[in-house]
Amino acid sequence: MLEFRKVEKSFPGVRALKGVDFQVGRGEIIGLVGENGAGKSTLMKVLYGSYQHDGGEILIDGKATRFANPRAAMIAGIGMVFQEQSLLPNLSVMENIFLGFETQFSRFGVIDWKKMAAAARRQLDKVHLDIDPKVITARLSFAQRQMVELAKVLTLEERVDGQLVILLDEPTSVLSMDETQLLFKLIRELRSRASFIFVSHRLDEVIEIADRIYVMKDGEVVATMASAGAQVEQIQQKMVGRDISVEYYREDKQLPRSQEVLVELQGLCSTGHYDDISFKLHRGEVLSLVGVEGSGGEAILRSLFGLAQPTSGSLRIKGKPVAGHSAARAVASGMGYIPRERKIEGIVDGMSVFENITLSQLGKYSRAGVLRVGAEKVTAAQWMARLAIKAPSVHANAGKLSGGNQQKVVIAKWRSGGSDIILLDHPTRGVDIGAKEGIYEVIREMCADGCGVVIMADTLEEAIGLSHTILVLKDKRIRHRFDCTPGSKPLPFDLVHQMT
Amino acid sequence: MNIEKLRAHLPWMTLAVLALLVSLAHPEFLRLANLLQMASDVAALFVMALGITLVIYIGGIDLSSQSLANMATVLATVALPACGPWTSLLVLLAGALLGGASGVASTKLKVPSFIATLAMGGIALSLGAYVSKQQSVSMDGELRANSFGWIYGVSGTVPNEVIIAVVLLAALLFIERRTTFGRSLKAIGCGELAAVASGIRVDRYKIAAYAISGLLAATAGLIFAARLAGGGPNVAEGFLLPAIVAVLVGGTSLSGGVGGVFNTVIGTLIVAVIRTGMVYLEVPAQSQQFVFGLMLIVAIALTIDRSKLATVK
Repeated sequence: MLEFRKVEKSFPGVRALKGVDFQVGRGEIIGLVGENGAGKSTLMKVLYGSYQHDGGEILIDGKATRFANPRAAMIAGIGMVFQEQSLLPNLSVMENIFLGFETQFSRFGVIDWKKMAAAARRQLDKVHLDIDPKVITARLSFAQRQMVELAKVLTLEERVDGQLVILLDEPTSVLSMDETQLLFKLIRELRSRASFIFVSHRLDEVIEIADRIYVMKDGEVVATMASAGAQVEQIQQKMVGRDISVEYYREDKQLPRSQEVLVELQGLCSTGHYDDISFKLHRGEVLSLVGVEGSGGEAILRSLFGLAQPTSGSLRIKGKPVAGHSAARAVASGMGYIPRERKIEGIVDGMSVFENITLSQLGKYSRAGVLRVGAEKVTAAQWMARLAIKAPSVHANAGKLSGGNQQKVVIAKWRSGGSDIILLDHPTRGVDIGAKEGIYEVIREMCADGCGVVIMADTLEEAIGLSHTILVLKDKRIRHRFDCTPGSKPLPFDLVHQMT
Repeated sequence: MNIEKLRAHLPWMTLAVLALLVSLAHPEFLRLANLLQMASDVAALFVMALGITLVIYIGGIDLSSQSLANMATVLATVALPACGPWTSLLVLLAGALLGGASGVASTKLKVPSFIATLAMGGIALSLGAYVSKQQSVSMDGELRANSFGWIYGVSGTVPNEVIIAVVLLAALLFIERRTTFGRSLKAIGCGELAAVASGIRVDRYKIAAYAISGLLAATAGLIFAARLAGGGPNVAEGFLLPAIVAVLVGGTSLSGGVGGVFNTVIGTLIVAVIRTGMVYLEVPAQSQQFVFGLMLIVAIALTIDRSKLATVK
């Protein structure tokens, strides 16, 4: 009933969907799996109207369609149950269920609450949730909210003539095992009225609930299989794709690390973010934190840099215990942070290239608080040349540079300041392929200069290629530690095996 | 030329057009004596606007300036017999302290700046009313001449308050363009989160900006007190709006990081020319606020960079 034919979607510098074919039959439950960045979310967003495809066709019951916005998709019978729950916590359950569609209960702009409550109760019955529709959403458990989300999507039944397609994005990530089983039971019950697309990192669950499974990698569907008889490992193989040669990783360029410990974590915890994290970072070492979205790596980086406070455990930087950490202290102790949100925490948009490069070390370029702007520009020009930053001049607004060049400006900021502990959060995200290799080169150079690097890589290949050590995080804890020095590199499959 | 580029040039073009119109209608407007008179009339407003500029430059707003200036006039008058020449220092310190307190409230207690400074304005107003026993107070002529002569006197043909304003302008221009403090304020205004992630001690700089704004508001109060030979809890009434108009019409953006001290010079001159024009047109003083209110909304609506704002509250 729903079909994608050679659907394309590109963003500046990235082809996120490369001719995707995808079909959902009436009452079918489809599993959709792939690594982070494989294109799953883009595909979902195109389907529920948040993005518009720029090539190929989307057919519903054989008719080509295009959704201008999520509301248009809803009217066509496509509902989305969000991973980041979309309910407004300060509204009642019934207000959430009918958010944006209140007119059916109103006369002259006044809402008939009784009528809405009765209608909400009917929706809640569909998901077997026995709660008062007037209760404030914030007071529900996560599992209950998930059910309310589903009930909200099911209101489409009354508004739409045809069959429904319901997208479930990681619906089980906040559910216990019993609750997951309850959800699955419900999905099976509802398949007489709707088809489902189930996106999850939990492959065993996907195999259990889905009829067919699509595996995506690098914006393409690399495999389609019936879930009857499918094996978790077989899917993991497809997710990581081809075997990768020694040459691909440039192992010859990787230098051994030293024994000197730069950063040491012992039992570091942050409630709700990560738990019992211990590791050592050495001089000249690249250490990767690998895990599915939300497994804790980003929060660990933020705590290391003092942007968030851990709740317990100890952190030592260059042998000194750290208490009352802050970003200013982290910088003073030689740390540099290259954030994922480059435009928000990396670059100061509106300031020039040279102002950005010296921003973390203004003390070095001033005497009694007065800046030596000449010296700043000299440093900036040197680093522009060294990292091949493409900008009209040191005076150019850093906010107007391309992603890769902005990233290099942020790197120049820390390197020119002599930082020797570098924290990288997805440094190559949104950077085109040519610039990526440049950034890898810079990371190797940092190690050669005796820096220690903690990285959350954009892809597994990237992590394996650059790292000496890989820590796999799962459910906010370190699940496995891989030695990743040349000659003993793990396979992407090994990592995925620990992640999912 | 696109709109973005035009936006940066709008302030001085506005000033030029307004000055041209007024001088065409009233050629005596351009006489040196008249211009100096205008400059001295607008000096206190300018000093207040300079302080507000710093706070708006980092993305905040200071609504306490007028009340701090009121308080300063009272303090300056009441403390004069006891403190003599030290009065100025005392008044400036009080302004800096209250301004700094707004800064602490906004950074450490996370109170939005418009609330923190509005509240601090209320506190300053009450302090002023308490010290003055809710009356206007006046200075002894000789004490005034001894302690405040440097403020209201004339050097050659130039009124001293104009010289004070120019000196403060030069100092702030230097701070803005040549010091780590100024650079940090710019970073905070353009991208506070990136400034934090670069290890800048953002809270300290923000508190300092509010303290300087308080100090300059108190300076404006001192100028009023010296010129009027006295003070009262409502002397600076009606100054806040034109001061904020001067900053924003000058081209410093409410979202922070754009514009700066020099823009406020242009903005203040625009305000001064409009005021003079209204005097020529015999617009009564109480109607001037009507014009400034209207002007503020129109100017912001015309020039705000909407791409930076997701929602406006």
